[in-house]
Amino acid sequence: MTHAGRMAVTGCSLRTPLGDDARAVLRRLLAGERAAAPNAHFDASTYTCRLAATIPGAPRPTKHRKFVKRMGLFGMEVGAEALARAGTPAKGARLGLFCGYGGLRAHWDDLMPVLERQTGDARATGAWAQGFSLLHPFWMLFHLSNNAHALLSIDVGGKGDGTTTAGSNAGAQALRAASIALAVGSVDAALVFAYDTLVEPETLLSLGMSGAATSAATTEAVVAPYDEGAAGFVPGEAAAAVVLERPDDAGDRALSFVSAAATADGAEGFPSPRALASLAAGLSVGDMIVDGAALASPERDTAERAALADVLGPSATLLALTASTGQLGGATAVVQAILLAEALRAGALPPIAGLDRPSAGPLRPLARAEETRARSALALSAGMPGLAGALRVEVP
Amino acid sequence: MGRRRAVITGVGAVSAFGVGYDALANGLAAGRSAIGPIRNFDARTFPTRVAGEVPIEKTSASLLEKHRGVLLHIGEAAAWEHSGLLRDRKVCFGLIAAAEAWRHARCGTAERRAALSIGLGLEQAFLEDFADQLDGDEIRIGAGDLAGPEGVRFRSRVDLTAEKIRGVLGLSGRVAVHVSACAAGGTAVAHAASLIERGAADVVLCGAADSMVNPLGIGGMSRLGAPSPRAEPSACRPFDRRRDGLVVGEGAAMFVVEEEGRARTRGADLLAVLAGSATTQDAYRATAPRPDGSRALAAMERAVRRANLAPSDIGYVNAHGTGTPLNDMAEAKAIRALFGDVPTSSIKGAVGHLMAAAGAIELAACLLPFTRDLLPGTAHFEEPDPECPIHVIGPRPLQRRVEYVLSNSFGFGGQNVSVVLGRPR
Repeated sequence: MTHAGRMAVTGCSLRTPLGDDARAVLRRLLAGERAAAPNAHFDASTYTCRLAATIPGAPRPTKHRKFVKRMGLFGMEVGAEALARAGTPAKGARLGLFCGYGGLRAHWDDLMPVLERQTGDARATGAWAQGFSLLHPFWMLFHLSNNAHALLSIDVGGKGDGTTTAGSNAGAQALRAASIALAVGSVDAALVFAYDTLVEPETLLSLGMSGAATSAATTEAVVAPYDEGAAGFVPGEAAAAVVLERPDDAGDRALSFVSAAATADGAEGFPSPRALASLAAGLSVGDMIVDGAALASPERDTAERAALADVLGPSATLLALTASTGQLGGATAVVQAILLAEALRAGALPPIAGLDRPSAGPLRPLARAEETRARSALALSAGMPGLAGALRVEVP
Repeated sequence: MGRRRAVITGVGAVSAFGVGYDALANGLAAGRSAIGPIRNFDARTFPTRVAGEVPIEKTSASLLEKHRGVLLHIGEAAAWEHSGLLRDRKVCFGLIAAAEAWRHARCGTAERRAALSIGLGLEQAFLEDFADQLDGDEIRIGAGDLAGPEGVRFRSRVDLTAEKIRGVLGLSGRVAVHVSACAAGGTAVAHAASLIERGAADVVLCGAADSMVNPLGIGGMSRLGAPSPRAEPSACRPFDRRRDGLVVGEGAAMFVVEEEGRARTRGADLLAVLAGSATTQDAYRATAPRPDGSRALAAMERAVRRANLAPSDIGYVNAHGTGTPLNDMAEAKAIRALFGDVPTSSIKGAVGHLMAAAGAIELAACLLPFTRDLLPGTAHFEEPDPECPIHVIGPRPLQRRVEYVLSNSFGFGGQNVSVVLGRPR
């Protein structure tokens, strides 16, 4: 039995804090490595949350730099790579693009020329002469939410269906939208790409103040999700892309299969564990492995395990890839789709990095890497406000 | 079992004509234009000094209170104002339009499981916040007094409007935030119809809200060179031979969309049927539409086909019609190629370009053909352009009964969406 929205993955690419090669990233996951480190993007030494998991390096030089910020450029890179690896199975009107955009949060660096002479001018009297005239002509395009999508569609010649959705479950939304477009036959291949970073000053400040993010001073001091001492997650960032095709069209080119769902439960904070479990129940086909939302809050982690146990049974294996990569916001679902497939193909499940004292409760949080013969797994992601994503990954 | 159809049973709008759908409908029916000088900040030194500005200088808790309708927990609004949240005008506009649509559709407890599909514009950065945090040429952000929530409101989160709408209406269904630039509103409504047709929801609150009538929005657009250089109420004249750019607008339009059988059973008024929709991409250039309009044509053709109609069934096209030389020419070619001489208009000359909310406000205008047998006009259209060989209505509206209408929205970089509405029977 398979889920109605199940589609084949025929190409993929990613940028994560643990690297940009899925096989190599899996090796690091299996070794229990964690990408958390002192914030590499800016001085966060006075912040509550001082650690972050950042993508090493910078996007490749490109003419698109004038239009698109760093994470969008990573998104464009992985999109183009995934399509090339899939052998460009469709072109033109038969190729759709579906983007999950986590958010664009910081503007002040490039606004400094405008702002530095505005002090005390709350009604912006004379604002044009005092700075706005200095804005780059493409400033507006630089901050558009769909700029990476639009430019990638030009680069790859994708003229079919296309949507850009936002939010911390945007990756799951994009996967779902692509699956529907394939199911109704409006495209023959769907390039799904998602990107997000939580490692920006405003986001780090609010995550730190709310207690959602860790206040640990060193990587070693970070307590893993599902540990009895868990105290907040590590903010991270990623970009990832997959090419989806209908299973019959993909044939033996299928690297894996994915079904996705997204919802929201009305919460202002993270979605309720019941909402997550409900999504999992809608996708599960007797699966016994789940990559949890892993918010690293003892109360939430416990509730999540209880809710998932009602769906999967109490002995299901619990993973937490984000214990290694950091929380990846809107990019999470697409990263999970790639890395879980890699793990299932390798027959090896990565441990929850740093898990020393699993808290009591149902499910089996994996403290050590172990072999598996399972061919499928579920994955969950959660973000504010009340946004939940889920997917089922299966390998041939 | 027959195909599930989505119908519109409630509408709310905030536009340059004022707060409320009736203000929009009456303004368009009268053939008026609401473009005027920018008032909510001093734009005298900006190259762009006119806009389709909602006639409210300040978005506030008292404004929300006045238009709250059936909004719940409205006492929070004072706290929102205090925190600065309501300075993002699109949050206020979205809340007011959502409340009106909810009230118009006579929704109640039974509809609170509704999904929300909303198109939103740029995250907002506030000059006042930046200015207050400046210390010489350094932004003072970090620990201490500036590290708390009061010190870090450098933007309004992109999904903030969605969060507040869900909160005040007590909605518990799924939420989708569409950010496909100027195609976002149309895409959000199309997505709502898709949820209904697939059985993924029975009721969806959908639409869009946006505002760029602020120093950053107007400044950024001015530098891009998209707005008309003329600071006149007639600055935007879609399809006119003398057109020279757009006018920035602001506002919101929200709809209650339901499964038809459910709506009929509960006795709701059916305003329109969401008959079909489609998206395509130009894959051409970042800053210009595909000159031959071929991908816009493909979106329209597919939307009509998905509605099980022929192009000749479409009695009116509500064009994206930005008033820029390139957009109007390409769109006109596509409309001519598919629909021939179908009556066409753009309301952007009257209310401006609402950016992410453009598709939503224009779909609200597309209810006029069904509620008043009136096709909106194209404000300031006076001199036909041979490069736009279509039947442009305007500037006055056209009295005519039609059964189906189509609305276009085209986003930056060539994200296109077309939506077909039908007269309910």
